[in-house]
Amino acid sequence: MIHSFIALLPDKCTSCMLCVRECPAWCIHLDSHTEEVTEPGARRPKKINVLDSFDIDYSLCMYCGICVDVCPFDALEWDQHRALISDSRVDLTLGITQLTSEKDSAN
Amino acid sequence: MMNVSVTETVSPEKWRERVLQAHDHGFVFFDFLTAIDRDSGVEVVVRLAFNDLSESISLSTSINHASLRLDSIADIFPGAGWHEREVGEMFGMNFVGNDMQQLLRHEALGLPPMRKNVVLSARVVAEWPGAAEPEIKQDGRKVGNPSRRRQRPPGVPENWLQS
Amino acid sequence: MARYQLAEHPHCEVEVLTAGLACCTLEVEAAVTAGLLIPAQLGNQASTPPSVLVISGTVTDALLPSVLDVIDRYPDAQLMSFGACATSGGPYWDSPPVTKGIDQFSDVAVYVAGCPPRPEAFVAALLSLAQAGISS
Repeated sequence: MIHSFIALLPDKCTSCMLCVRECPAWCIHLDSHTEEVTEPGARRPKKINVLDSFDIDYSLCMYCGICVDVCPFDALEWDQHRALISDSRVDLTLGITQLTSEKDSAN
Repeated sequence: MMNVSVTETVSPEKWRERVLQAHDHGFVFFDFLTAIDRDSGVEVVVRLAFNDLSESISLSTSINHASLRLDSIADIFPGAGWHEREVGEMFGMNFVGNDMQQLLRHEALGLPPMRKNVVLSARVVAEWPGAAEPEIKQDGRKVGNPSRRRQRPPGVPENWLQS
Repeated sequence: MARYQLAEHPHCEVEVLTAGLACCTLEVEAAVTAGLLIPAQLGNQASTPPSVLVISGTVTDALLPSVLDVIDRYPDAQLMSFGACATSGGPYWDSPPVTKGIDQFSDVAVYVAGCPPRPEAFVAALLSLAQAGISS
């Protein structure tokens, strides 16, 4: 496995912020909010975190994989990926769709 | 293979004497000399070994931030001269008896960079993304924050953020 | 300075000057070793100015004037910011002596993400520059 891309599995992400806080390059940005859901049979509504945005700034990322390691829910994983190049530095910041769809296209 | 390894703390006054003693005892192989910045002062560490590496000794001494002077051991181990200059440059130590000319560091940088009181301004100026918390929203509007605990970025001491 | 042919796109030849400042530079050589780039025959190498100038590795404030000097010498060359260090400071983003991105001082034509980027990324960046050159 070539460690050339860190992919996000958004369904597994609980917005716990561990990856964001452990990242030595401060290159992960995560935005989320809490919602209350009432499950059938439950006495009280449950609070869950809903992921709004997840960005990795690949112009800064050093591919250390600490985020992959610390994620308790395996929501981040190493992935094979084509070359990440761009004519604009801003475009190297990838959001949820790019972080996941790139993974699907590589498979 | 390294078989026996001893660690010993000595006072700054006894530093040179103890290194010389160790040298005469047979610890003639100079491995390295380095330093660690601690609250109590700069701790200088030297590691010496027998020539066949069967035994080694680590000597350390703590010099308080007010003095930062220590006798050089470069005349006992010429190889230590370079290491002492590095420690001088990076920690602001002064090794008495050694030529303490700067090696690599740019003069304009100011304080010795390995000292803990040197503020990495990039970490103070940049907003830490980890400070964000999930927000409680109703109809798309923020109505509260679930945690009042203030998070601090790892590796950024509290007093850096006060300025 | 060297002239390379892209192995998978033989029609595409680029004159490359690499300002190798740190470990990223090894990936350029790796691209040649891996057969992704084929060094063009010796001959008229010195006469052609580079079309691509690769800044690979950590730019420090102390070294910056020399790097800018090289950039100024080849005003027609397109600048490639290769790797996280050249682009943003990368792992050294918090270090006082490190320049946080060469793009603060000169226009960059293509950024390559990675620490280091893979040789394939280098070739892909060269190709994108060459194709942009053909279309414009």
